[in-house]
Amino acid sequence: MAQADLAIGNVPVKIGRLDLFRRGAGQWWPYYAMMAPGIIFFLIFHYLPIWEAQIAFEQVRIIPPNIWVGLKQFQTLFATQVFWQVLANTVIISAMKLAFVFPVPIAVALLLNELTNARFRQVIQSAIYLPHFLSWVVISAVFIAILSPSDGAVNDIVKAAGFHPIAFMTEPGLIRWVLVVSENWRSAGWDSLLYLAAIIGIDQQLYDAAEIDGANRWQKIWHVTLPGIVPTIATLFILNCGMFLNADLNQVINMSNDVVRSQIDIVDTYVYRIGLTTGQYSLGTAAGLFKAVLGMGMILAAHFFAKRFTGKGVW
Amino acid sequence: MAEDRRVRTPLERTENAIIASAMLLMAVVTLQPLLNLLAISLSDPANVAGMNGLTILPSGFSLTVWQLLATHPAVLTGVVNSAIITGGGTVLNVLFTALMAWGLSRPKLPGRKVLFILVLVTIVFDPGIIPDYFVNKRLGLLNTYWSVIFYHLVDAWYLIILVRFFEEIPEELLEAASLDGANAFSTFWHVALPLARPALATITLFYFVFHWNEFFRAMIYLNDQSKWPLQVVLRQFVVEGDKLAMVGVNNSNNYTDAAQINIRALNAGMILLTIVPILAIYPLILKFFTKGALSGALKG
Repeated sequence: MAQADLAIGNVPVKIGRLDLFRRGAGQWWPYYAMMAPGIIFFLIFHYLPIWEAQIAFEQVRIIPPNIWVGLKQFQTLFATQVFWQVLANTVIISAMKLAFVFPVPIAVALLLNELTNARFRQVIQSAIYLPHFLSWVVISAVFIAILSPSDGAVNDIVKAAGFHPIAFMTEPGLIRWVLVVSENWRSAGWDSLLYLAAIIGIDQQLYDAAEIDGANRWQKIWHVTLPGIVPTIATLFILNCGMFLNADLNQVINMSNDVVRSQIDIVDTYVYRIGLTTGQYSLGTAAGLFKAVLGMGMILAAHFFAKRFTGKGVW
Repeated sequence: MAEDRRVRTPLERTENAIIASAMLLMAVVTLQPLLNLLAISLSDPANVAGMNGLTILPSGFSLTVWQLLATHPAVLTGVVNSAIITGGGTVLNVLFTALMAWGLSRPKLPGRKVLFILVLVTIVFDPGIIPDYFVNKRLGLLNTYWSVIFYHLVDAWYLIILVRFFEEIPEELLEAASLDGANAFSTFWHVALPLARPALATITLFYFVFHWNEFFRAMIYLNDQSKWPLQVVLRQFVVEGDKLAMVGVNNSNNYTDAAQINIRALNAGMILLTIVPILAIYPLILKFFTKGALSGALKG
């Protein structure tokens, strides 16, 4: 059509105007109309809560309005012994996961890559990716079953080896390890996918060259495969550090019970408990806000650090 | 991958066997607990008490547990509620994520950068559950299905993934469509969406899993037991150990069939019932996501 118009004498001016109009605001309103539900969602469910968070600086009264009390809630919070305990728990659990969960998928990816039979590898992959898609309610229920002192699989083995059964889920000294192991059960398989993708991206010529040099399997893993996935490892490690204060609410809330709570109560479960179950809204919000600000600092630091050293950030 | 065709030394063959065994062990450790639960749930209730946690074969055979679950009112409402939340939530998620991603993917969109920052801030800063609770209260969403659907209407990560996908669509295709008289929406519907099918499928599956597995918001926002999704019901029965809720006070007092069933067998069936939909879509997840992730890496 545009070409037909061009053929008629002095129309170019007209087309120019039409183009100007098309490129102006008029052209974009349909896009904004399409984006509107999404934008409204972000404003209401992500920005309105930030506004609501002012309750952390207020004293809630049964009859509104609330009274502005400044930083009083934070002073109360910082004077609360339990708050420091849950903060310590959060850091300890995150550190344990960084040490004992983070490296596992790397090992899994390296081993998967060594499997020579493609069909066998596929079967293994199909099995080990599954738990990632199960909820923590389900995983907790599964772990309660397999760790049961009377008839759980783990204690069946413990008993067969001649030891007394162990009540893992109600043993304060062991419950953090239950978090570590269950996290591995859930994600060691699926998370290896990221590393496996990086391994596949490694230039085959590097392996051929290593072979000519007489490298054996382990030398090839050490000198070719591992260096090839170091950028991925570094990026994910830094990002994990950025998420340090998120010790996984869903996991903890389902693995917790009165006997072991003091060991695995984290900031998020603390906020939920004092805020929504005992109704100390302001104090709970203050704790949540403290974590949010600290967490934001850590994620931003991790992002810029990762971007600087590996070229890939959080987004 | 490491597909070497040359003759292997005995040492290499031993190494291969060890590596294969290690991976096999991992697969067994992953699946055995679920198979054990399946065996327990299918066993003759009289034999369940004596079964250990290692077996994967039922002792005797009975469908009593599954029959009880299939007729249990709390379980049935749980299934219906989960289906409503998952079905409705996933459709709205995918639709609104795609619509927003389409706009954001247009390079010349005025205000594009501001919108991106608007989205990124939400990834970095999360004021926590209590302000979120008050927003839902203010909007009158508490104790409605909307409270567990709306709070995660558009996932910032999936949005960004889709934006990147839409950005890859060749400009010529879109120009051709607009020359044919297609407007912004019909270009989206007839050109962009069909081209983004693999990405949409992946996102759909992940939203589905997200909603099906949702329990925390459902637990705190849905006070009414009749609105509980299956995850919350499972938590009540198994994690919290609320046995009477499962068997029923009357049954328990009257020693009816339900009370005869071993609670362990009932728990096992309940856990498995809750993962059935995940198992149903799992082949699709393997197909779309693992292939997508791996082929993406190959191209990159």
